[in-house]
Amino acid sequence: MSVAAFCVLGVLLSGYVVLDGYDLGMASILLFVARSGDERQSARNAIAPFWNGNEVFLVAAGASLFAFFPQVYASSFSGFYLPFMVVLWLLMGRGIAFEIREMIENALWHAFWDVAFSLSSLGLVVLFGIALGNIVRGVPLQQGGYFLGLFGFLFNGYAFAVALLAVLALCQHGAAYLIVRTKGTVAERSRRAAIRLFPAVAAWWAIVSISTFFVRSPATFGAPPAIAAGAAVALGSLIAFRIAVGRQRHRGAFVASACFLAGLLLSAAGTIFPYLLPGFPDPRTGLDIYRTSGPPAAMTTALTVTVLALVLLAGYRTFLARKLTSRGT
Amino acid sequence: METVLWDRIQFAFTIMFHYLFPIVTMGLAPFIAAFRLRAAFAGDTVADRAARLWTRIFAINFAAGVVTGIPMEFQFGTNWAAFSGRTGSVIGQPLAMESVFAFFGESVFLGALLYGRRILTPKLHAASAVVVWLCSWMSGYFIVVTNAWMQHPVGYTLGRDGTVLLTNMPAVLLSSFAWWQFLHVITGAILAGGFIVAAAGAFYLLAERDLDIAPAFLRSGIIVAFVFSALAVFPTGDRNGANVTTYQPVKLAAMEGLFRSEKGAPLAILGMPDTARRRLLDPLEVPDVLSFLAYGNFRANVAGLAAYPRSLWPPVALTYYAYHVMVGLGTAFVAVGALGVLLLWRGYLFRARWFWWIALLTVPFPMIANEAGWVTAEVGRQPWIVYGLIRTSEGISPTVVAGETVFTLIGFAGVYLLLGILYLFVVLREILNGPDVRPHANAPGVTAPV
Repeated sequence: MSVAAFCVLGVLLSGYVVLDGYDLGMASILLFVARSGDERQSARNAIAPFWNGNEVFLVAAGASLFAFFPQVYASSFSGFYLPFMVVLWLLMGRGIAFEIREMIENALWHAFWDVAFSLSSLGLVVLFGIALGNIVRGVPLQQGGYFLGLFGFLFNGYAFAVALLAVLALCQHGAAYLIVRTKGTVAERSRRAAIRLFPAVAAWWAIVSISTFFVRSPATFGAPPAIAAGAAVALGSLIAFRIAVGRQRHRGAFVASACFLAGLLLSAAGTIFPYLLPGFPDPRTGLDIYRTSGPPAAMTTALTVTVLALVLLAGYRTFLARKLTSRGT
Repeated sequence: METVLWDRIQFAFTIMFHYLFPIVTMGLAPFIAAFRLRAAFAGDTVADRAARLWTRIFAINFAAGVVTGIPMEFQFGTNWAAFSGRTGSVIGQPLAMESVFAFFGESVFLGALLYGRRILTPKLHAASAVVVWLCSWMSGYFIVVTNAWMQHPVGYTLGRDGTVLLTNMPAVLLSSFAWWQFLHVITGAILAGGFIVAAAGAFYLLAERDLDIAPAFLRSGIIVAFVFSALAVFPTGDRNGANVTTYQPVKLAAMEGLFRSEKGAPLAILGMPDTARRRLLDPLEVPDVLSFLAYGNFRANVAGLAAYPRSLWPPVALTYYAYHVMVGLGTAFVAVGALGVLLLWRGYLFRARWFWWIALLTVPFPMIANEAGWVTAEVGRQPWIVYGLIRTSEGISPTVVAGETVFTLIGFAGVYLLLGILYLFVVLREILNGPDVRPHANAPGVTAPV
């Protein structure tokens, strides 16, 4: 049951990364691929109906962590206190920047808020990357399972390397999205961005993967089959992505990019399993899914609820997407 | 002590700012659904335009609610880690249900409602409005369940280390404390929605514009406001009071400013509680009425604060004032609503310019009353974070110090100032632009929202 909960959490987090990932990534490259006012407008319109709904996945992942593994939720959120607060302000700043831009019709006003939107989104990607890097590397848990995540500890080479990978991969993902959802120069520049980002993503991913073997001993990798499967999916998807972009199969390229991200997360999950918050320097001093899971009633309730809700979501999202595109322009 | 106080101030500030938006979404959602259904089934074009205006305003509130709601969920973990770690197997459940049922549904169907007017069939479009309405209320329900469990914990056992273990989820979801609290919260939101719609109608009448749609707003708004103001007093307010009397008698004494236990306790209409000297200064009281309201008997004994050790008292003055602000405003809403309905019935409503002003100026007060009600419930719950089980001071994060909370509180104040200004600007602009479509995202390739 704990393993099932771990998987459900992984699905929700992957959902967040794949969905909010494209609007975060698109925002990060916005200033480069869309330069005139009209271009920026069309790029923004491509995410306007969706970004808010995508962020809901972050809330859902947080709430499910709370329901399944309360002690991990309590320990990680309080341990990463200041970084999490910065994440919150960036999330809010990003939303404000996106919405406030429309308020006044003035080119300078638009330019200012576009830059604010882009930078706050990029900042979020960097922070999420640093968080993921530190979770893989482990955090210094004290007795009672709490820790103090000071910036001095959290800012380490490995975390920065993961953050750079996050930036590169999500920029590529955002570019793949813009190719599908925009036309003309924005789509063309996004396509060129995707082609140029591809070797950087591939090379940097290899470097991060190798350095993972140095920040923690391979003996502590929890689920090597999952790591291998994740890496295989990611590798296959990355190659498929490049081929699809080359052949102008843009929807396919976006799907491949999404699978690449999911593969990365699967291998990260396989590395830390069964710990949700591995310890440092020894990962085995961390909080695992067996000792921190709630009582049976809580696990059954939360599992039923999240699985049912995800099935429902898939159903009504598909239904509405079909209805919204079937008769639309 | 200092840390817990700053954590409380931060939570209070962020939740009170956040709650302004759910009041509006929960209050407007039924109006939007009703207008949409009328447009779909009766082909009423006025209802269609009305629904478009309120959907745009709803969307702004939903976005602001999401943006300010994420910090609320984070704060359980960041500032109240000990509480979350101990009680998460219970309170994590309704919070998870809220995000995966209500938020997922609301965000997807709101997209359909905003962008689907020309694409979906009118009936499917109206159905989206109904789903958005149900999801917004469901969201409120799950949050109230969380809070009601903290007010009156049920359906759990205690583990050996003091951890709360969920045993019975249906008991948590169906607790009568939760249901009456939810019904009271939702009537408070609907009456606020009614007064907002009525105020928009009054504004258009006063400005002599959009005269085809303004009477519909004023009429439907004031009827709803009247009915739900009455329901907020009875039965929902009354039943909540009964639950407080049964399960939280100290809170009741603080709300009423009753220091000494009395047979035939008076109801204080006015007065200032003096906690140091343990009496109500300058009181205006109605004898015996509190005994009747609490126990249905004019001579019943009502326990005063003095019957409990000082360490179990909530902050008396704040609880007392918040409660009296809520009740005083609630009474005024019934009066304003009744006056409006009377004018409507006698056929004067659309000539009584003075009443349009009253309707317009009433609009901020339901917000204040809703917030005051929550202050009563939450400050009155002190010193407990889970009533009778865990003290608030035991709930805070062991690794977070006061200075960090002060720093982040200032950060929230800054961001929320910006957000508040932006919000007022955007909503007022929508009202000023009026019900007729004004393409918002007008670039090629995207359907203009509503």
